[in-house]
Amino acid sequence: MNGYLVFSIKELREITRTWRIWVLPAIMIFFAASGPLVARFMPEILGTVGGAALGQLALPTPTYFDAYGGWIKNLAQITLFALIIMYGGIVSSEVRSGTVLLVLTKPLSRSAFVIVKFVVSCVFVAAVLVVTTALTWVVTAITFGAAPGAALWSAAAVWLVLAVLFLAVMTLLSVLIGSPAGASGAGIGAFALLAIAGIWEPLGHYSPAGLAAHAASLAVDASTTSPVWPVVTALALSAVLVAAAVAVFRRKEL
Amino acid sequence: MSAAIVASGLTKAYRSTRALDSVDLEVATGSIFGFLGPNGAGKTTMLRLLTGMAKPTGGTVTVLGRDVATSSKAMRAEVGFLPDVPAFYDWMTAEQFLTFAGGLFRLDGALLRDRVAMLLDLAALTATTTRIGEYSRGMKQRLGVAQALINAPRLLLLDEPTSALDPIGRKAVLDMVASLRGRTTVFFSTHILADVERVCDTVAILDRGRIVANSSIDELKKRYGKQRVVVQVTEGSDALAASIARLHWAQTVTRGTQGEIEVTVSDIAAARHQIPALVARQQTGITMMEAGEFGLEEVFVELVGQARP
Repeated sequence: MNGYLVFSIKELREITRTWRIWVLPAIMIFFAASGPLVARFMPEILGTVGGAALGQLALPTPTYFDAYGGWIKNLAQITLFALIIMYGGIVSSEVRSGTVLLVLTKPLSRSAFVIVKFVVSCVFVAAVLVVTTALTWVVTAITFGAAPGAALWSAAAVWLVLAVLFLAVMTLLSVLIGSPAGASGAGIGAFALLAIAGIWEPLGHYSPAGLAAHAASLAVDASTTSPVWPVVTALALSAVLVAAAVAVFRRKEL
Repeated sequence: MSAAIVASGLTKAYRSTRALDSVDLEVATGSIFGFLGPNGAGKTTMLRLLTGMAKPTGGTVTVLGRDVATSSKAMRAEVGFLPDVPAFYDWMTAEQFLTFAGGLFRLDGALLRDRVAMLLDLAALTATTTRIGEYSRGMKQRLGVAQALINAPRLLLLDEPTSALDPIGRKAVLDMVASLRGRTTVFFSTHILADVERVCDTVAILDRGRIVANSSIDELKKRYGKQRVVVQVTEGSDALAASIARLHWAQTVTRGTQGEIEVTVSDIAAARHQIPALVARQQTGITMMEAGEFGLEEVFVELVGQARP
């Protein structure tokens, strides 16, 4: 086995044997299971909470699109926020703990160290996304009696590209900033900047800034433009960010 | 035979501080080389440069004939390294960590299994099935030594390998290091002088980033060590000290805390004969008299202490 494979297996085992297996899946399972129910019973919930004030307001009958829209909104906001916090130490945690010394003094290159951490994190997030999207699909089908898959899965796929981009952002920030909290703070700043940039239409159409809006539109089958440009530019930017992280880490003193 | 490590003018500066200052060093292949120095002398910085974890700001260093800066990965394949405070993945067991470490060296199959079993035995961790997170510092240190040997390295770099060990663990590590003599070059960084005297052939003493001595232990004692006599008498110590100080072989005469007279001498045989004669002439009695050479500890204090304000 080469170093990439050995270190990848270690990274995957580390996910399953530490807190990392619980946090992101727990958040995503919670939203996947509860989202369709909340969407289905929203008129009743609002009626109970709002009482007489909402008595005259006619709320539309919820559909499975409301469940899908809620799922993607939760992914694009709370889940992405959690992901940024979780991966603030994607590289720096091993540097800070000192475990990096027993790994990089063996014939594993620094490039492999960074790339494996990024790729395994992407695989983990993708796996959790597939499982939880399938869960929300099933719960939606049970709750609403119908749940066509195309809108949900295409929206989830676009969100995955956004998640990959933020994993790349966190990989670079974690190499640049030794403190996981500092890197997470900078990541939240990047998240806010991307959200603001997406408001400007040309950026929304042609750059990664439009990914969240495209995912939300696809979820409710209301997309008027293709997400190809945001997806392609996001993947290209992710590659550039990881390459930059590798270049910086190779020069870093440990 | 070429040297396992060659450092030439090796310098590492951090802003205004020079952690290593123009270090010239050669470590002979197959030797056990003691790298001695007080805390903060630059020993760990030297190891970081040797492992490629840091880059020198001046000079060059080659390890096993390779420039660390340009062939770091190939060099690391033949080197074992133990940092001063080894950190492991707490969720792994010792066996899992050694298997992981061996995998990074592309070891697998029966060879890896046999080597892991042998090293678990060496580290006295065969029966331990708990996770590393629950280990004592000594257990982690023993596992650290074991992982450094997983690739049967040509060069073993050890940073303070015995500092966290109890006497039994310390003896086991020193015996293991001694058993590698002639087969593996060992670069042994420590501030424990007794360990160096016990296993090392050659020693370099580092102080404030500079090499202040570099030779075999015997040569070092010969060059820097002095012969000395310690004598204690029943009465008349002051007069005896004054008489000794007038003799040509007496270099320094000092008084110990118990009133004993400590004399560094250039001719130990003359001192052995003449001091009892002086005592007899004063008509007093000797309660204690010792004559011999300074050990490595005194050489170390002499060399490192000179530079202290």
